Amino acid sequence: MSIGVSIGGGALQVGAAPDLRVSPLAKRAGLKAAERRIGWLFMAPALVAFAAVILFPFLSALGLAFTRYDLQTPEPVFIGLRNFSEIAASPEIRQSFVVTFVFVSLATLFTIILALAWAIILNQPFRGRALVRTATIIPWVLPSTVSAFIWAWIFNSRFGLINAAMLELGFISQPVAWLSTSAGAMTAVVISKVWISIPVTMTFFLAGLQSVDREQIDAARVDGAGDFAVLRDHVLPHLRPVLLVVIVLAVIGNLQQFDKIFALTGGGPVRATTVLSIEVYRRAFDSWDIGMASAVGLLWVATIIPPAYFYLRHLLKGV
Amino acid sequence: MSGITGRHSVEGAADELNVAGNIREKTMTTLNRRAVSAGLGASLAALTTGRAAAQAAGLSFMSFSFAEEANKALVQKLLDDFAAESGVPAQPIGSAWGEVQRNLMLRQRSKTLPNSAQISERWLPSFASLPELVDLNDIVGKDKLEAAIDVNVLNVGRLNGKQLALPLATGSIGMVANREVLKKAGVDKLPETTAELRAALIAVRDKVPNSVPLTMATKNPNSIPLDVLIWVWSHGGRLIDESGKVVCDSAETTAAFDFMTGLMKDRLIAPEIDRPDSRRLFAQGASAFYVDAPQARTFIRTFSGRGQEADAMIAPMKTPVAKNGIEPVSMAWGNLVLFFKTGDAARDAVLPKWANYLFSDKVQTTFPLALSALPVTRSGRAAPAVANDPYFAEWGKATGVVRMHELGVWSNAPELSTIVSEETQAALLGQKTVAAAIQAMKPRLEASMAKRS
Repeated sequence: MSIGVSIGGGALQVGAAPDLRVSPLAKRAGLKAAERRIGWLFMAPALVAFAAVILFPFLSALGLAFTRYDLQTPEPVFIGLRNFSEIAASPEIRQSFVVTFVFVSLATLFTIILALAWAIILNQPFRGRALVRTATIIPWVLPSTVSAFIWAWIFNSRFGLINAAMLELGFISQPVAWLSTSAGAMTAVVISKVWISIPVTMTFFLAGLQSVDREQIDAARVDGAGDFAVLRDHVLPHLRPVLLVVIVLAVIGNLQQFDKIFALTGGGPVRATTVLSIEVYRRAFDSWDIGMASAVGLLWVATIIPPAYFYLRHLLKGV
Repeated sequence: MSGITGRHSVEGAADELNVAGNIREKTMTTLNRRAVSAGLGASLAALTTGRAAAQAAGLSFMSFSFAEEANKALVQKLLDDFAAESGVPAQPIGSAWGEVQRNLMLRQRSKTLPNSAQISERWLPSFASLPELVDLNDIVGKDKLEAAIDVNVLNVGRLNGKQLALPLATGSIGMVANREVLKKAGVDKLPETTAELRAALIAVRDKVPNSVPLTMATKNPNSIPLDVLIWVWSHGGRLIDESGKVVCDSAETTAAFDFMTGLMKDRLIAPEIDRPDSRRLFAQGASAFYVDAPQARTFIRTFSGRGQEADAMIAPMKTPVAKNGIEPVSMAWGNLVLFFKTGDAARDAVLPKWANYLFSDKVQTTFPLALSALPVTRSGRAAPAVANDPYFAEWGKATGVVRMHELGVWSNAPELSTIVSEETQAALLGQKTVAAAIQAMKPRLEASMAKRS
């Protein structure tokens, strides 16, 4: 290899130069390309795992949504959009959408309100605050099925704490089967979900509250602002970015909810707590209608995409 | 490399270092590739060997009895004895009763089926289309099977002329009464009609505190249809007839649903009850009646903590009927064993040995009895331990007309069960009137049956 050097318009040949490449990678492209290749190399395990665990099953389910695949058809048979037309005609599946909407709305609303209130309380200086903050995390640390079983026992009609307390206090004369009424079962699953979600949500709010400008609040109080006015005009506007992220994450989490509901009510009584995740499970593993389960699953994913998109856009904007 | 090491200039030394570095780098790359290849090869070899070892390990048997505390030791002994006799190591795989269908289907789709599995007789049609299922006529021989087992018993495991399952233990599902609870309630005669049953239930409710007089299954979609069918039959009704026609809107079936919702309204049955709850409440003296197979005795012995002393508590009884002229009914019940081929001749050679062992006298005169069920072989049934057992004699007298599970005989049974369970629950819990529940049930059952055909 030779290098041509131009000095004052003339060309001076300085002869052959030694090979200065520092890496075999450098000969193929520039440093950027090498970095990109290294980047891909580092990403490869995650990409392989993503493809194997998420992408392939998702694409597979996507394909199955257009097939009949049940106990009578050992191999999937393409049927076009028939599963989706059956879904449109099925009052049971339509009810699952309604149940999902009710569950997600109630669970998200109560989680946000209670977690914010609890964060505000834990942001105040008081004796034993560190202990209370630590204890608040306990529901989040428990495995979700364990917490579901705890709540199942609390609501149990024969041995439950609620019945025992209410009978003792004379509020009821006979034990009530709370989990056997639509409202009771929905209340139980919402309480169970809210209880387990409060710690993490509260932590987000607490972190946001740490950066509230105390001087601004003190100034507002000097101007005569009460607690509610401080909350409305200073704290909440300051927490707005956190609030948006927390709401979106809560909606996504509640849309995906399965284990707690399944362990607590199994989607019952009848179909009172059959959210979309339970519907997919029951179609797939109770009725063995994998094609229909995939079709419902596809619609379920469609409900999760808008909040997920909103969240990602918010994240990327931040970056 | 020796040629390079002969240079002594700085440039030469640098070159030497570079080349040496390159060689080291290349060597490392090569080594890494070799190491990775070797590692992968070793892993694959280990996997293959492991899989082969697992396949050659002998018999794997999925069993719901093994998952039941009361029967776990029995199944372990059954397999240990088989292993000792045949020299084939045998491995139990426990699966809860309600999960067996799901586990087998998932294992079939992931190509990890066990060699053999215990199922309830009503699940057989759901498995009939599995290509791995073995026809026992091929591996044991039809003549040999019929010589040992009565054809009526073999029929429970037959479909489309193939012997797709081997009956292991048999009996019927009927009602049992708790003599001790009835005595406390002042009921001295077992009810023969639904009106008498209702009166007895009211007496139990009023005189035995914290009891659920009739522990009907009201919670688990897998268990509810069985109780529903018993009461529908006791009122002279049906849900689906032999031809597959949905007939759940008859006056008789409606009367049965009225009867069940009336029991719930009067707190004679309770929500949130599944079969295991029924057994425990009965054994603990908190229930007077429930529906079960003869193996009720084994559960009651265990759950009461009183062993054989608890036998005095259990009274098999004829299912009460709504009016004269309707015969008391029971449901055919049996534990069947499925056999799955793998295509591997060495592994599949275990299957005939296992099948022959299961209907041998050694097993049939012990295992079903320990489950409190009837043996399936002629010689097993003639054995003194069975013939002289007063419980079996009493059970036999109470059996009445034995019918097959009306939903279980269809290949879409899981979906039918879900529909019947949901609509029954809706009626029992007051979410729908009986008429509305039946009105909703009929088109859903019809749609499922139409899809099946």
